[in-house]
Amino acid sequence: MKEIKIGSKKMRLPHPTRVLLYFLLIFFAFLALLPLWSAVMTALKTQEALIYSNPIQPPIKPSLDAFGTAFNKLRIPILNSLTFTIPATILSCVLGSMTGYALTKVKFRGANTIFLLVIVGIFIPYQAVLIPLVQIIIELGIYGEISALILTHTAYGVPICTLLFKSFYDSIHDSLINAAKIDGAGIWRTYIHVILPLSVTPFVVAAVFQFTQIWNDLLFGLVLSGAGSNQPASVALLNLQGGFVTAWNVQMAGTLWYTIPSLVVYLVLGKYLVKGFMAGAIKG
Amino acid sequence: MNIKKITTRFKKKIKKIITRDKISTILFLIIPIVFVIIFIYICIIWNIVVSLSDWEGLRPSYNFKDFGQYIKLFTNKIFLTSLWNNIVLILIFVPGSLAMGLFLAILLDQKVRRENVFKLIYLFPFTLSFVVTGFLWRWMYNIRVGVLNTLLESIGLGFLSNKWVQDVDFAMFWVCVVLIWQYSGYMMLIFLAGIRSIPESHIMAAAVDGASSFQTYYRVIIPQLKAPIFTGFVILVVFALKAFDLIFILTGGGPGYATEILPITMYKEVFNKKHFAYGSAIATVLFLLIMIIVIPYLYSTYGGKKNERN
Repeated sequence: MKEIKIGSKKMRLPHPTRVLLYFLLIFFAFLALLPLWSAVMTALKTQEALIYSNPIQPPIKPSLDAFGTAFNKLRIPILNSLTFTIPATILSCVLGSMTGYALTKVKFRGANTIFLLVIVGIFIPYQAVLIPLVQIIIELGIYGEISALILTHTAYGVPICTLLFKSFYDSIHDSLINAAKIDGAGIWRTYIHVILPLSVTPFVVAAVFQFTQIWNDLLFGLVLSGAGSNQPASVALLNLQGGFVTAWNVQMAGTLWYTIPSLVVYLVLGKYLVKGFMAGAIKG
Repeated sequence: MNIKKITTRFKKKIKKIITRDKISTILFLIIPIVFVIIFIYICIIWNIVVSLSDWEGLRPSYNFKDFGQYIKLFTNKIFLTSLWNNIVLILIFVPGSLAMGLFLAILLDQKVRRENVFKLIYLFPFTLSFVVTGFLWRWMYNIRVGVLNTLLESIGLGFLSNKWVQDVDFAMFWVCVVLIWQYSGYMMLIFLAGIRSIPESHIMAAAVDGASSFQTYYRVIIPQLKAPIFTGFVILVVFALKAFDLIFILTGGGPGYATEILPITMYKEVFNKKHFAYGSAIATVLFLLIMIIVIPYLYSTYGGKKNERN
């Protein structure tokens, strides 16, 4: 390796392959971030500035007008999205945790079969259940209501949550549960007093995962929310670009507003989200 | 008290606990299991029933027509086009994402400084909603003022500027590029975990034998990544069949039917044209295609070993 002297310190010239390595790493990082970068730059421009600059240039005079316009249009939908995402996340996590626990720690015949039948639900294309689902929701009289989305997202969240919790409960030692059993605790008491206090990590993992999934959903929102005022943010965003003039700065600002909650979750709780992705990958 | 008495009493107690447990286990599992039965299994069967009927228009109608819808399906040009597009999607997107993911994982495995920052950045696209990706790439791909064409123009590569997803012949390819962009980071994560779980000794042994780092990857590391490659493959193929949101927003299936895939055709048939029976036949085909891949996968992952233990 070549060495050059600068002052008294020896400094190594980086090996050409290392230079290439970092060049590639930075190039791919650039590609990964380019769409977001240009969205932010575009959203910060006024309509006139948009014409006279290219989409990745920072604006000369940043303007928040586009963010304001987009916010006015998306404020209610974003609130709607929060109103169903949060309860559906909590409910599907609780149900997933109960199923995961019962299928790992309560020994009974057929537990593995039930488990397999539950996690098939992770893979099914939602198109294959869409027509009956809409019928059920209409029959229940909640079509177009927020509660329709809570129910749907909870139900279709059960399989993935079961998988996430089961892979965690598999690692808990049976002796802990047997000890509780000998003390006379039934399944409910064992679950509440022994299992739940141990489940903070899988709850965070599953909750972060579910929040992202439900927040990002489009299909259920499209077919269940009706034309009324209960549309989720994803559907409202789709309608935002349906206007006759395509104001790119407003569109990008709207997209960014919609991204913020999941982006914050990723930046703050990314570690747990990665765990969820991995559990979903290694097993499901 | 002799030992025998104690053991019988203990056994009785255990038995009592077991029967009591059975009932409470059922109560415990009833809500999630009912959810799964109704929203997954009953809905799937119901959907198949609809596909055998003549339901068109808003009012449900269940006059059975046997396999009429399926016969119609396989003679319909739009259906065959979207089936073909699904296959093209699998053929480009799946190997593309696997290769990019593996490449990024190998790059990051070179004792890179700030590895976690790069990892965070590469995984970022995968955490975005497909809705967001759809909008971001509509802007990237816009022909007149979009990011890619103006960027190419400004660095003197204007001749590379393109119609992207508006080009009938290559639209599906550019859709695949977006999906590879979104999924590479996820595949990288899976491969990196796989590479890191290979015992150091194997890699050392290869080094001692004088293998270059390229040889080490090619002959030692990649062959040991069969499990993650298989997992990644299943995830990607299943996704390629199910993909809806992104293409729905990016191209809406167009231009013409150039990027229409089965989930989009189903959606349009049912919710735009109200062809309920026909649409549910498409959904059933889609469901069966996915199950052909998922059932063997689940069986190999969970079936065999667990049953032996029980």
